[in-house]
Formats: sequence, C-alpha cells, structure tokens
Amino acid sequence: MQSKRKQNFSLIMFALPALVVYAVFKLYPAVTGIFYSMTNWNGLSKEYDFIGLKNFREMLSDDYFWQSVIFTIKYVVVLLVIANVMALVLAVTVESVKKGKGFFRTIFCLPNMISMIIGGYMWRFIFYKVLYYMADNWGWKFLDQSWVGDTRYAFLSIIIVASWGCVGYLMIIYMAGLQGVPTHLLEAAELDGANGWKKFWNVTFPLIQPALTVCLFWTLNSSFQVFDVIYSLTGGGPGRATQSVAVNIYEEAFRGNIRYGYATAKSTVLFLIILIITAIQLKTTQSKEEEL
Amino acid sequence: MKKKLVSMMLLLAMTLTACGNGGENTSADSKAGEVEETASVEEVSSETAPAKEVELNIMMSFPQYMDQWEDYCDQFEAKMLAEENVKVTINLEMPSADQYDSILQARLTGDDTPDLFTIQANNIQTYANAGYLTDLTNEESIAKVYDNVKETVTVDGKVMGVPIESTAWSVLYNKQMFEDAGITPPETLDELKAVCVALQEKGYTPFMLAFQEQWVPQLMTAVTLGGKTTGDIPDWLERMYKDEASYEEVREIFDVINLIMENGTKRAMEEGSEVGAADFANGAAAMFVQGTWSANTIMTTNPDMQLGVFALPVNNNPECTRINLATSTVLGVYANGLEKEVAIKFANYVLDDNDSSALFQACGFNPISSIHAFETASWVQDAYKYVEEGRSYQDLVLPSSVTDEQGRLLQELYVGSVDIDGIIERLDGAFKEANELSK
Repeated sequence: MQSKRKQNFSLIMFALPALVVYAVFKLYPAVTGIFYSMTNWNGLSKEYDFIGLKNFREMLSDDYFWQSVIFTIKYVVVLLVIANVMALVLAVTVESVKKGKGFFRTIFCLPNMISMIIGGYMWRFIFYKVLYYMADNWGWKFLDQSWVGDTRYAFLSIIIVASWGCVGYLMIIYMAGLQGVPTHLLEAAELDGANGWKKFWNVTFPLIQPALTVCLFWTLNSSFQVFDVIYSLTGGGPGRATQSVAVNIYEEAFRGNIRYGYATAKSTVLFLIILIITAIQLKTTQSKEEEL
Repeated sequence: MKKKLVSMMLLLAMTLTACGNGGENTSADSKAGEVEETASVEEVSSETAPAKEVELNIMMSFPQYMDQWEDYCDQFEAKMLAEENVKVTINLEMPSADQYDSILQARLTGDDTPDLFTIQANNIQTYANAGYLTDLTNEESIAKVYDNVKETVTVDGKVMGVPIESTAWSVLYNKQMFEDAGITPPETLDELKAVCVALQEKGYTPFMLAFQEQWVPQLMTAVTLGGKTTGDIPDWLERMYKDEASYEEVREIFDVINLIMENGTKRAMEEGSEVGAADFANGAAAMFVQGTWSANTIMTTNPDMQLGVFALPVNNNPECTRINLATSTVLGVYANGLEKEVAIKFANYVLDDNDSSALFQACGFNPISSIHAFETASWVQDAYKYVEEGRSYQDLVLPSSVTDEQGRLLQELYVGSVDIDGIIERLDGAFKEANELSK
C-alpha cells in the first residue's frame, strides 16, 4: 500500500511539468473563455457587458457558422479515412521491407517536422505555379484546374496537403503497434494456412487496436480544429467556400466586426462538439479493445 | 527497435530545442553588445550631466521599409541625445501587414501596448473611441499637413494621428501597350469598352486579375463606389449608416466590374497580389486595378515599365470618373504610454522640416505636407493631376466587415457562386449588421 502510494506520487511528479503547462495555457483560457463567450467584448475596449446566452442564440441563425461546421465535418470524415488508411498501408509496407527501414521511416515522417503553415505555403507554390507550368509546357492538361477557384479542387488540395502533413506521424504510431505484435502468433497463423491478407486482417489488425484508438482520436481531434492548412492554402476562399470552423472563428475575432465575445462563444461550441465526438469514439474503440 | 526509435526521436527533439535556444542567445548577445557600444559613446559625448534614459516601443506595418525606418529611428536617437540630453532606445517592430492587426490587438488587450503604433486610417474612430490614441491636434507637425490630408485623420474635430501613407490611386496601366494600340486613358464606360477591344485586337489582355487575396478584388468596389457616389449620389454612404439606403442604388458599379472580369487574365484565384504585380510588370495585361503602393514591386520586376495611372470610369458620366485619395496608414501615440512626451516628439519628428523629406522619398510615400519638396514618380504625378483638377474623392470609410465581405463576394462572383442580386442582398445585410453592432 505504502509503496503503491509512493509510486503514484512519483508518477504525478513526472507528469507535473506537463500538467502545469496544460493548466496554464489550455485549461485556464478554456474556462475563462466560457465567461467571455457570454459577453459582447470586442477585443479592444476595456469595457464590455455581460449578455448571457445571447451570443449562443445568435449562433443558431448564423448561416456562415453552420456552413463552416458542415465543411469541417466533411473534412474530418474524408481526412480520417484517407490519412489512416494511407498511414496503415505505409506502416505495413515500411515494416515489411528488409533494407532501409530507417530511411523510409525518416522520409515519410519528415513532413510532420515542418509547421503546417509553412507546408501550406510550399504547396501553394506547387498548386499555383508548378502544376500550371507542367500543364502549359508539358501538355499535362488535366492539371489545368482552378485549384482554389473551384470548390471541389480546393477541397482536394486541402486534403492532399493535410494528409501529407499527418500521415508520417500516424505511421510512426502504427509502426510501434505493429512491432508489438508477437511473431509467434503470426507464425502459428501461417502454419494454419492463413495467407498475407488473412494474417493481417485476423491477427495483426485486432492486435493493433490500441494504436488505432490513438490515431483515430488524434485525427478526429486535430482535424476538427483545422486552421493552418486552409489558412495558408485557400484562406477559406473563394468567398467562404472552404472555411473551417476555426477559420470562421478567427475571422470573427480578428477581422470585420472584431467580435471576441461572439468568437469565443463559437469556439466554446466547437469545444463541445469535439468533446462529445471524441468521447463517443474513445468509448466505442476502447470497448472493442476490451473484447479482445 | 522501439527503443532505438524513441531515442532517435528524443535526440532530434533535443537538437531542435538546442538550436532554438542557441539562436535566441546569439541575438540577445549581439543586442547587449550594441547597447554597451552606444553606452560607451554616450559617456564621451555627455560629460556634463548623465543622460536621461528613455525606452520607446514602436510597432509599424511596413516590413518592406524596415531599413529606412531603422535609420530614421537612429537619427531620432542621435537628435534627442544631442539636443535634449535624453538617451532614447527605440525598439522597432515590423510585423507583416496581414497579421499586423491581430498582433496589435493582442498587445493592446495584453496591456503591452507600444508607445507608438501605426493603424489603418479606417480604424481611427474605433481606436480613438476605445481611448488608445492621443489627441495631436495642436502639435507642430500637424499644422504642416495639407488640409485635405488632415481631414482623413480627423475624428470629431480632433487629429488623432500623424498621416504617413497617403495615396491617390485607381487603375494602373502600361503606357507602352496603350501607345501601341493607339489609345488614351478612357473617361467613360463606353470608352473603356473601346479600349478593351482595341487592346485585344493588338493581342493584349486588357485587365490583370489577381483575386487570391480578398483585398485585391475588393479594390474594384472601392474605386467604383467612390466614383459613383461622389458623382451621382453624394449622400449614399451617410444614408447607409442610417440603414436608409441600399446597394441597389449603386448596382451600376457591377457593369464595370463585370467588364473587368470578362476581359481579364485567367487563373485569377491562384494569383496573389505580389505575383499579380510582377506578372503585370512583365506584360501579362495592360491594366490592373491596384494602388500605386504596388509600384515598388512592378518597377523592381521590370525597371523599363512605363507605368501610368488613370481613374476608372463607372458609367458614362465623366463626373463619376474620379481618383481615390486616401490616407491608408496613420501613426498613433498611445494615450497611456509611460514615455508619452518622447513618443509625441517622435511623432513630430516624422514630419521634421529637415529629415522628413528623405524618409518619405526613400519609402516612396507621397507628399502629405508642404515640407515634402521632392520630385515624385511619373505615375504618382498622373494620379495627382486628377487631384489638382478636383477630380478626386475622399476614400469611403465603410465598416471593415463590409469591406471584407465585398472582397469575398467578388471572389464568389468570379467563380460564379453568387449573382449580382445575391451580392446586393448580402452587402446590405452585412452593413445592417455592422450598424447594429456599432450602436
């Protein structure tokens, strides 16, 4: 009992620095944010009024906000599938190569080391200059699309850049999961006559459920808050066609009418949406893990 | 294997942080060195009494003129030391223009306000009402400013900032191409149509379109609205602020906007403002609805460019063909600054009789005061010719949310996701909302 308590104490001590940073820079602003969401503060003046739930009522009829919510959900669903499938395929492939595993791992993980805002500007150059150069000079006419002006292609380019940025990170997590799969189980399956796909689907995949949980949680959480890719790539345009909730909040707070209070109310709603969805996701995937 | 991976990542993280720290340290060291250096110089020069030390924080939105302003700050520091025995240390910050507003707002709310900061002239009212700006009406420098420029920085009869960037602008054009096609700048919409036809016959694209950043298409509404309302319905804006008017009354402006879009370069949504200016300089099109502030980029890209300015016609009434006269950037003095006195001295020094001309010329700013006696570029003279003839209008001050909305809607009009009726409805709505909020 005594040693158990001691162990807990040292565990907390290890986590303390991170906890303090989390509390000061995440928890405290989140809690005060709930207060500001009930004011009409404009971010500039020193005075503001407490207006209760008026901001939240206004949000109900704010078409631009709901448009951005729908766009974000579309983005989350598409990215969730594409990024995770690609990351898993990459992880399995890299794991199965005999030589140069470290090389491929580093290569695929590199984009994750770059800030997405910089990555976005790099890709902007590719979409706006390089692709058109290839279309004009090499006759690759299928590249001659309006990469920002046409909403479909704008969405496609956002997905391409976003998955480029996060696949490497997810791949590392999946690889860690794959390395934890005991080889004797795979060998036993092989003896029982299971082929490559069956072996993966029936043995490996169930055993990497924990990695899947982490990856799904991470993609859900981060893609709901997507900002940097869209901001650097399309700026939310044309008009508001590619505006995610985070971009919508940013514009509300820092541009136009400069409404900090209202913008905070929107971010509170975004927070609740993410909280509910990730809670459901964690519950379902964890119960799957326990089944094993 | 796993261990190796983890240790590799840790190592990488450590090197990264180490690099970051290293960078910071060196810059701090060099700064400390500078300070020591200046300190030793000062010891020699002021043996009589120890100099009073003052630190000034200045934030401006001209990263492209960082060198010029740094030199000017040095001059100010030297002048203060020599004339008043005050050792001023200026910390000059220049965030990039598109993030400037959010950074300034964060600093204001975080009680970390710079002693002097630039703001958009359109926002003077907001900042003045919030109590951040010092009244400079009776300062010596303000007395020297031209009256029509002074008006642009006056709120409720008080001058709340030193005007810095003042521009007369409308449409940039390539004089060579116009000469080649045998045409002169148009005075009416019909003439503009003829100009487009003549240019196309010569194989030139009439208009440069660079719509990726919303503020660029927005310029089209800025010039057309200004011309239309000044010439035909002068009380329109006033009534808009009272919810008594509608964009329906100025529907005409979309005739010329449509004409520009139909006769423009391709891939406008993928073209940023800087790239657009460079392409225009390289002859991609003959005209560009863009301010003279982009002349710097244009002339760097193509020093042989013969750049001109004409006023964009809105309809067939030449009274509506006017140039936009605007003060875009203003230097404000923080009302509650610790070193307000010195800050005001700096604000005055910006319009110093001896030194100001060189600064304004180096930055390519237009003259705003009688003390600015320097030869301006030919395109600036083109634009100011309209001003002298009385064919200019004071830049319309719209709520900034409406300005943003115009930019967005013009992007949407270009890609075809909204029509003119939709634009009018949404702009009226945005204006009403802004009125509602400012109550």
